[in-house]
Amino acid sequence: MLTTLRRTNSGRRPVLAAFIAAGVATAGSAGLAACASSSSSPAGTSPASGGTLTVADLAPFSGPDAALGPTYLVSCDGATQTINQAGGVLGHKLTCKGVDTRGDPADAVPAARQMFATTSGLALVIGVTSDEAASVVPVINADKMVVFAMTGQSEFDSVHFQYFYRLVPPDLEESYAMIAIAQQLGYKKIALAFGNDIGSQTFIQPAISAIGKAGMTLAANETLDLSASTFRTEAQKIVAAHPDVILTEALGPTDATFLSEVKQLNGGKMIPVIGTSATISPDWYKSVAAAVGAPVLASGFHADNLVTETSGPSYTPFYNAIMSQRGKTGSTGNFATYLTAPGAVHLYDGINLAALAMTEAKSTSPAVYAPYIEKIGDGTPGAEVVYSFAQGVAALKQGKAIRYEGPGGPTSFDSYHDSTGIFQIDTYSPSGAVQVSGNITPAQLRALS
Amino acid sequence: MNLFLASLGFGIVTAAVLAIAAVGFTMQFAVTDVLNLAYGAVMIAAAFIAYAVNQAGASVWLGMLAAAAAGAAGSVALNTGIYTPFQRRGSAPITLVIVSLGMTLIIEFGVQAIVGGTNVSYTMSQGPTVRAGGLELTAVQFVIIGLSIAVMAGVHGLLRYTKLGKAMRATAANRSLARNCGIRTARIVTVTWALSGALCGIAGTVLAINDGSFGATSADLFLVLILAAVFLGGPGQAYGAMAGAVIIGLATEISAAYITPSYKDVVAFVILLVMLAIRPAGLLGARA
Repeated sequence: MLTTLRRTNSGRRPVLAAFIAAGVATAGSAGLAACASSSSSPAGTSPASGGTLTVADLAPFSGPDAALGPTYLVSCDGATQTINQAGGVLGHKLTCKGVDTRGDPADAVPAARQMFATTSGLALVIGVTSDEAASVVPVINADKMVVFAMTGQSEFDSVHFQYFYRLVPPDLEESYAMIAIAQQLGYKKIALAFGNDIGSQTFIQPAISAIGKAGMTLAANETLDLSASTFRTEAQKIVAAHPDVILTEALGPTDATFLSEVKQLNGGKMIPVIGTSATISPDWYKSVAAAVGAPVLASGFHADNLVTETSGPSYTPFYNAIMSQRGKTGSTGNFATYLTAPGAVHLYDGINLAALAMTEAKSTSPAVYAPYIEKIGDGTPGAEVVYSFAQGVAALKQGKAIRYEGPGGPTSFDSYHDSTGIFQIDTYSPSGAVQVSGNITPAQLRALS
Repeated sequence: MNLFLASLGFGIVTAAVLAIAAVGFTMQFAVTDVLNLAYGAVMIAAAFIAYAVNQAGASVWLGMLAAAAAGAAGSVALNTGIYTPFQRRGSAPITLVIVSLGMTLIIEFGVQAIVGGTNVSYTMSQGPTVRAGGLELTAVQFVIIGLSIAVMAGVHGLLRYTKLGKAMRATAANRSLARNCGIRTARIVTVTWALSGALCGIAGTVLAINDGSFGATSADLFLVLILAAVFLGGPGQAYGAMAGAVIIGLATEISAAYITPSYKDVVAFVILLVMLAIRPAGLLGARA
């Protein structure tokens, strides 16, 4: 007879009730977590004269995509510190505040509403990944707040939000870029392994379409549940399909676990991997390199990324701004990776654009300064090109028209406030440094679209 | 066939990890009457203790011992500092469930505040891979299976043949009667928290080893699987938890071979719901 620890003679109700209570309580933890995570400050959104302006980083700080929020915060802290050193915006100092969405659209809306209700001097919102963009952008737009978003969702290509700005490409273009990389490298059989979050799922259909147009074969298509702890069956299915390459974006611990299992099930040999630009991040590199080995990752990994400056007049102030945050915030991985991480580069540009727009508009009210973002980003004929906030302020004081060109390159906003750059191919060195190994031409992307 | 064998292997490993966690969970629930939802959070906190030891240059297996000690100490502290005061005030069981949920968030976010959103891996070799048909397991996975069997045997020996185990069973069955028979139930409760905490620490470490990479939230879904295994076997039933772990582990991994793997955890709950409908007390509960 088996040993019994507890009498269970009380019938079905207590057992069922206890289980249901546990289930409900466990399921409720995510929602409670979101409520518990955002900080608060005195109410009101209008800054007092000379008061501090707040840049809110509305992004996942917990959950599977928890690395994204801190990445954006590195950019925010670096950019605002540089702006403050140059005298601030119209006498106001800038500060950054993280607001946690948990990467969940349901948690993101109350987090955004709480942000508006409790943030003093809120002047700009950054972050907003594909995880939460669809639910929070309408809220932000209704509150007439400028947002520089990191979402790649294609719906923002064709829906106009007056206060929405984006310096990153739509996900479908990134999908084409990944297939273009596979073409360049001579791969024919493609496996897809994307996370089940909104931000990752948007890559799949464009990728499948581009695979067909490129005359390649879709060997496998596995969705990775970001809340699961192992992916052996998914890895086994992919290994059994013998793909030439795996296209992936699954953040948190998922890619690290999944790719280590692929390596194990493939006889210790890694299948080449092409990642999205989100995989160019110190956190992603640190976790995946630890799981599969840094030399393995260095030899078999490519990612698409927007072309970013690695030298020149805009790079130096950007470099100084980002590296000034080393040891203060962000990842404990290779900090220099932030210099090419899309979230760091393009949000730095977004904050500078907004700060210069406020300066030229002589107002910190988004309704007043928003139109100046496009003017300063795209420039007007005869405008002086400036490469930093300090240069821009100096030129504006001299009464000159300016065009800001940051480390993300020149901007060209369309009617939906999207500005898409051109793509490059990145790899990692064994130490985690990002290297540029090639470029993707617009013609290559057009052929796959 | 190859995929089936591969899934069977994966299921055995998952069951092994789940069994260690589920037995610790159900043992503590049986003796203390607390449905401790913070168990998963303590698992991951302990896994990070093992990581710290591992990063200091020690073997991850040594780290696992440190995790077991930390899990034991943390669980005793959780009971002494949080749950016992509520129980003394006569709080309802559902109140303690909510308190434990709160502790889950506090521990999980506390860990995340310290380690950040970055995911980490232990520095260790997986060892050679053994292949037989479609079945593929690494040496480390064999160690995990062996460890799980050893833990199950240890728990069996403890409950069946030792004075402590008999006292735990008596306390679980009827605390007042056990106290009247001379059993120091308060001490038994504390020892049970320590033992289940140690199992929790071991489970957290083997989960992290098995996953290859882990972060502060890695046990969120795993806790739900633990609950499924525990309630499938019958709450408070050590052997039920073992059986539940095997069923849940195998069902999730084998079903993943034939349906979309994202839904594999749904399969576990379908089995659980069917079981609860047929045998409300769980697999082994009716025997009592």
